[in-house]
Amino acid sequence: MDTFTTLLMAFISIVIINNLVLTKFLGICPYLGVSGRVDMAFGMGLAVTFVVTISGTLTWLIDHLILIPLDLEITRYICFILVIAGAVQLVEMYIRKFFPALYDSFGIFLPLITTNCAILGLCLFINLWGIDNLPEAAVLSFGAGIGFTVAICVMAGIRENLNLADVPKCLRGAPITLITAGLLTLAFMGFAGMIK
Amino acid sequence: MILADIYQLWSSIWPAGVTMLALGSGFAIILLIASEKLKVEIDPKIEQIQEALPSLDCGGCGFAGCGQYAKAVLANPDLLGKCAPGGQKSTEAIAKILNLQVSDSAAPKRPIVHCKGHTKDKTFNAIYQGIQSCIAANALSPAQACKFGCLGLGDCVSVCKFDAISIIDGLATIDYEKCTGCGACAKHCPRGLIEMVPFSQEKMMTVACSSKESGKVTRTMCKVGCIGCGICVKMGEHFTIENNLARVDYENYQPSEKNQTALNKCPKKVIIETGKKCKA
Repeated sequence: MDTFTTLLMAFISIVIINNLVLTKFLGICPYLGVSGRVDMAFGMGLAVTFVVTISGTLTWLIDHLILIPLDLEITRYICFILVIAGAVQLVEMYIRKFFPALYDSFGIFLPLITTNCAILGLCLFINLWGIDNLPEAAVLSFGAGIGFTVAICVMAGIRENLNLADVPKCLRGAPITLITAGLLTLAFMGFAGMIK
Repeated sequence: MILADIYQLWSSIWPAGVTMLALGSGFAIILLIASEKLKVEIDPKIEQIQEALPSLDCGGCGFAGCGQYAKAVLANPDLLGKCAPGGQKSTEAIAKILNLQVSDSAAPKRPIVHCKGHTKDKTFNAIYQGIQSCIAANALSPAQACKFGCLGLGDCVSVCKFDAISIIDGLATIDYEKCTGCGACAKHCPRGLIEMVPFSQEKMMTVACSSKESGKVTRTMCKVGCIGCGICVKMGEHFTIENNLARVDYENYQPSEKNQTALNKCPKKVIIETGKKCKA
């Protein structure tokens, strides 16, 4: 397969087949916490996409240019967390300066992206899957963010409509949200094995 | 032996330490540059005003939260005094920050529910089993005979941030001890039953009904509906009748013996006293 097909396959794979939220169960906290309204969920998804693209690419570079040559793979976790925290800070400043309305609506969630395990998870997965070229790492990072956005927006759409449904009293609130998340995961499992 | 071990340990640790240090400093420099380049100037007054506000983010002032209101007040001092939960204290504190004079403000506003129909008093044509919200029930269903009365599905309860309103036997009931007067319930009642009224007295007299139907129709729909008989207008001082519905003149209301007589003589017992220390 030529490079383009490989990249396209990698992208589709990370967005729907190996979706970090729905099949790896990473980033469940914002997935359940910020999925009350579609517009908020979309904003959160975009912020995560931005951070994960930067940090996924950067961590691949740091891993391959610094850590592997120096035989320091053991410090991966700390270095990756450093990169993610730095990227989040950068995004926060940028949004605060140029999109004040978005900044106000994010509130506490923006700094919380730092501890979003989908991002650290992806950085480590890129390494685990043995991705050995920069374009693929970048595409995978971007795709992971898009996958997160898709998952959280679908969830928010369902939850918005769930507000109008006649849910049994004992299931209202968190229980029905978890059940919905489970069913959504089952639906996405149908894609498993589509690309080998 | 031990020294050799320590030396070996040290020689394997220091590259990691140096790398981390280098990476950390690299990011620190990038962030430092970014923080200088992307600096946002914030007026310190905004923070001061925010501290003077109760930080409840109730939205009663018409802005998204206390932060938004603080900015708006700074830009436009005419908006002073919109914070109901903060009351006079907040207003004075903000006025001091902005170097303004405050005039004596009017009596604080509190909501009054203009309905007295508990489930046992109301007539139902059918049992409503649709979407459990007043907006939906009001738009779709004629299940409850009275078109003006409380639906009891709790739209007001869900918007109240202070847990000050509850549905008791199918009727929205306000806990005046907890209420801050933000007005969210009044905005969200689809039937406009909840009115923000200036509480000049500790206890306010009110007509707990909104039915504009004629007395004959009201009688068939509700056991405690105002029939517009006009006894209160004759007996009391601050009552008027409009569209078959008695109303209290809240602006000028004073407790008096005549008003008390009107309350006692009301054939439907629909005139009630509300406020703190009143039985719901």
